[in-house]
Amino acid sequence: MSETKNKVKVHVEKVNKSYGENHVLRDISLDIAENEVVVMIGPSGSGKSTFLRMLNQLETPDNGTIVVDGFDISEKTTDINKVRENIGMVFQNFNLFNNYTVLENIMLAPVELGKLDKVAAEKKARELLETVDLVDKADVSVNSLSGGQKQRIAIARALAMEPDVMLFDEPTSALDPEMVGDVLEVMKNLAESGMTMIIVTHEMGFAKQVADRVVFFESGKIQESGTPDQVFNAPKNERLQEFLSKVMHA
Amino acid sequence: MFKKCLLGLATLVTLFTFVSTVQAAEPHYTITTDATYAPFTFQDKDSNYVGIEQDTMKAIAKREGFTYTMRPMSYNSAAQLVSNGQADGIIAGMSITPERKEVYDFSTPYYKTGVAWIVGKNSKIKSLNDLKGQTVALKTGTAASEYGKSLQEKYGFKVKYFNDTDTMYNDVVVGNSAATFEDMPVIQYAIKNGMALKVMNANKPGNAGSYGFAVEKNKNKILLASFNRGFAAIKKDGTYDKIVAKYLGASQSTFSGTKKDNSSILGIMASNKAALLKGLWQTLQLTVIAIILASVWGILLGVMGVSEYRWIRAISTTTVYIFRGLPLMVLAFFIYIGLPGVTGVKIPAFTAGIITLILNEGAYTGAFVRGGFEAVHQGQMEAARSLGLPYGSAMRRVIIPQGLRIMIPSFINQFIITLKDTSILSAIGLLELTQTGTLIVARNSQGFRVWAIIAVIYLIVITLLTWLSNWVEKKLK
Repeated sequence: MSETKNKVKVHVEKVNKSYGENHVLRDISLDIAENEVVVMIGPSGSGKSTFLRMLNQLETPDNGTIVVDGFDISEKTTDINKVRENIGMVFQNFNLFNNYTVLENIMLAPVELGKLDKVAAEKKARELLETVDLVDKADVSVNSLSGGQKQRIAIARALAMEPDVMLFDEPTSALDPEMVGDVLEVMKNLAESGMTMIIVTHEMGFAKQVADRVVFFESGKIQESGTPDQVFNAPKNERLQEFLSKVMHA
Repeated sequence: MFKKCLLGLATLVTLFTFVSTVQAAEPHYTITTDATYAPFTFQDKDSNYVGIEQDTMKAIAKREGFTYTMRPMSYNSAAQLVSNGQADGIIAGMSITPERKEVYDFSTPYYKTGVAWIVGKNSKIKSLNDLKGQTVALKTGTAASEYGKSLQEKYGFKVKYFNDTDTMYNDVVVGNSAATFEDMPVIQYAIKNGMALKVMNANKPGNAGSYGFAVEKNKNKILLASFNRGFAAIKKDGTYDKIVAKYLGASQSTFSGTKKDNSSILGIMASNKAALLKGLWQTLQLTVIAIILASVWGILLGVMGVSEYRWIRAISTTTVYIFRGLPLMVLAFFIYIGLPGVTGVKIPAFTAGIITLILNEGAYTGAFVRGGFEAVHQGQMEAARSLGLPYGSAMRRVIIPQGLRIMIPSFINQFIITLKDTSILSAIGLLELTQTGTLIVARNSQGFRVWAIIAVIYLIVITLLTWLSNWVEKKLK
């Protein structure tokens, strides 16, 4: 709804991806504006996670163009590490570094990449712990945390690099139900602060509440996209209707 | 830090090579021998190499004004090292034969010999015909074994090979083999000193001939001339006859210690303390240096094995495949005896041993290091890369520390294997614990007691090594 006014942050054009015979993404094109929150929904295997992982080149497209923040990452000469510094990523399985404490997890990238010195990085890390409400866990080993705590630390770790774009790959799918709320709360606050966010999720309530735009993936294609109101209350695509009737009654 | 480490280790290896090849001002030679060959060459109770050959060599060197390093090892290795230029000369009861004259230049003969055929003291075998279907023990590469082999077809016996005289004798004494062939003076001396064998052809030695000192053909002419000149001189002034009388006249216990010293484990330990400690020290040096360098090399191979680039992975896989596939002893012989023949560069035995261990143990280490890195969840790498960390930083900061932790038990295991593998290097003449044991047994014929002592020493060291590793493991966790 706001993409016409704001500048384009992510530009995807005619992207294809196959694993052998399996054509997971077919001619996907999508623009995402600065400050926009886009939620991607769809059945598993529909290609939405692959699409997300392509935006920071954890997967490489077979062809097509992907421009993030003005950098064409489908171009071989682009320094992908520099682009990635600006794109935060949160994984379904957290992927916190097991060999470090909570604080060290958050400090690692800014210090290693020379963005902040140790003192500044620690200060920043403690501030971030405050925003995810886990100050008291600063010095514990990450293996002692619950799933919900781990995911909030993972968000803090991504934010430590002060990215312009945040990618979320099913951030609550591996969590116990009672943990989901805390993580969604952190994400909601982040959205309100104006972060550009691209989220793959099954949390339809969250999508309705936070998304500027909802994109429905099915069989490697974007079948429909629109405001939460359009997608959830007046779905046009037949597969979307079918999908919604399944997840809403589940 | 990694690079600095490598640089330091490279310097260390170079230093070893350099120190051990440093040349003295007067002519200095490396001479090989087989120290299980009394009365010609054997080790006395103070770990000195003595015998007719050793005393002769000493007297000649003194007269001719040269110095030498005596390198005892198996006869076969001793002979090969000279034929490929790794050593300058060999004095090891080498019979002068036409075949050998193709490869070596011989000195004037220093001792008359012939081949005896020998059976156990109480054996029922009367003639060579009785050997049909029986096993005969031979020592690899000797003229006596060639002679024995030449009779094999005629008398229909089977042949079994040994690397040193003493093990060969004992195989006949305990009855595993029915007979053996050995040079007459050597076996007569052994029998005189209590070896339970008898000579069957004392009056009719086969292939009567002589022992000579040998150098590589057409090389080392100066050394050969020195030997001949010196030998003529000590023969003329009676020194040589005195040497022969000294060894043939006395019983071996004069040199190898009293019966009391050799008939109990404590006695053997006390009388061989110096030799055992020296052997243990060499084993420890080999082990520690090999463990450190092989670990560095193995980690490097492991890191290469999970590289982003296919060609680097291929180098790692191939290296691991080759050096894990080669038996340690083959590798040791190849590096120590094979390579210098082609490159012309002499490699000291210790350096060759270390290189062998680095390549072999490093390959095993590389394989489990790679496995350890692969066992670190793929998500760890993805998370690190998605933060903008380059591949190298992600490996260094995230994957390697976690992988190494997984690998600790494999490392401990490999350290223990390395310690045990050093014993194989006795084959290239390194005087480590196992070779020390061989020499002591050659002197006192107390196989059971000596090998029990050696085995216990290995177990003690391995226990200490395991404790140390476990302690380090706990510290790391």
